[in-house]
Amino acid sequence: MKRTIPLIIVFGCGIFMLISFFIPLRWVQDTSQLLQTWYLGVIAFFVFIGIANIVRVNVNKIQRKLADWQYSIILLVFLFVMIGAGIFGGPEGGLFNYLFHNFQIPLSATMFSLLAFFVASAAFRAFRARNPEATLLLIAAVLVMVGRVPVGYWIWHGFPDLVEWLMQVPNTAAKRGIILGIDLGLISMALRVLLGIERSYMGGKD
Amino acid sequence: MKLLERLAKIDRRIIFLLVGLAAIIPLLIPIGLPVDITKPVQNVYDTIESLPEGSIVVVSVDYDPGSEAELYPATLAFIEHCFRRNLRVYMMGLWPAGIALGNDAFAEIAPKYNKEYGVDYINIGYKPGGPVMLLTLGRSVADIVNADYAGTPIDSFPLGRAVKTARDMSVVMTFSAGDPGILHWIIYFNARFGNVICGSTTAISAPRQYQYLASGQLIGLLGGLKGAAEYETLVDRKDRAIAGMDSQSIVHVLLVIFIIIGNIILLSERRKK
Repeated sequence: MKRTIPLIIVFGCGIFMLISFFIPLRWVQDTSQLLQTWYLGVIAFFVFIGIANIVRVNVNKIQRKLADWQYSIILLVFLFVMIGAGIFGGPEGGLFNYLFHNFQIPLSATMFSLLAFFVASAAFRAFRARNPEATLLLIAAVLVMVGRVPVGYWIWHGFPDLVEWLMQVPNTAAKRGIILGIDLGLISMALRVLLGIERSYMGGKD
Repeated sequence: MKLLERLAKIDRRIIFLLVGLAAIIPLLIPIGLPVDITKPVQNVYDTIESLPEGSIVVVSVDYDPGSEAELYPATLAFIEHCFRRNLRVYMMGLWPAGIALGNDAFAEIAPKYNKEYGVDYINIGYKPGGPVMLLTLGRSVADIVNADYAGTPIDSFPLGRAVKTARDMSVVMTFSAGDPGILHWIIYFNARFGNVICGSTTAISAPRQYQYLASGQLIGLLGGLKGAAEYETLVDRKDRAIAGMDSQSIVHVLLVIFIIIGNIILLSERRKK
């Protein structure tokens, strides 16, 4: 029963949500709306689960003095300081705003900016024309890199149009193929879950 | 040949230094390279220009400080354009940290045009739930929104009362750094309610949006800082995106030089073998 009842609920809700898209009857739409509102309610609990998990993992790390355990202290201190500043001072509160603008923004921007340096190093060492496919990719990448910035337009006014064509035709064709494949996979996965073939989401053994 | 051998073993810190210099020097000594306008950016501009005064534009701030350098200049330019055209801006966010950035943008632009909070613009805050939230929002805003970002009841604002369903939203403009973001607006909101969707994404995720531009599900796109610079050019607001273009141009040229040198080294190694 512990397995059968959840499977029946998943099957019933899943099939109902699927057919509700095609049936404009009032009661069907209202029930579909109600189920979606419940889902939004459930999502609110995810935040608490997330915070509880971060705390558990980092407290464990500190207790066991695992590698870089000092960073876990900083993480936990700032986690609770930000939560406290937000709850007691509100989103416009002085401390919350101060921490957001003077810690979170510059730190996040710095982390993201580091990518440019690693990309440059990788471009030098790894972006090599080792075979025809890699050569094609390399030529396209160089054209897009130059054509997507003003220097490309400065070199040749037709560069941006060439890049737009690359994006609109070969890029779109390849992306569509990939995404169609992904979506077919998603549909088959959803059907497996609905029909009870895929049960790993329930945890434990079958 | 010795030079190539030396280059092959170059310390990566030298590469980092060169990239740093290529990024910083053009910021200090601007070159002023011309910015061309691409069709996806022109489409966003034309869409906003075509709206009658007082129309409501939904601005979804779906990014966090990590993408601030690329997407915040676009946010500023777009909001300035909306205010200049006397459009009303209904802001929300699918990412929690985006809300504060959106408020910063309002604080920077609204006083310039004497715009009043709650009347000309509003921020309804972070909305979790991804696709399900968007589907509910389009059907009945009241089921999702009962207060603004600061907790003030939404019905106490004229603009809050004006938006009831997706039909009240003339255009949705999403500034998106990933998931949830632009794809959710296109796949769920546009598909279900038929709203006009425009977007601004980081340069790395712009190529994925071209298929939706081709299908007409996405009307216009600002791709990366370049897209923001184009929009700044269109709205005649020379700000940080245009300033960043020289820097980005030089870094891109440097990357191309690195790739060429790397491949010359590969060729010389092959010849030796």
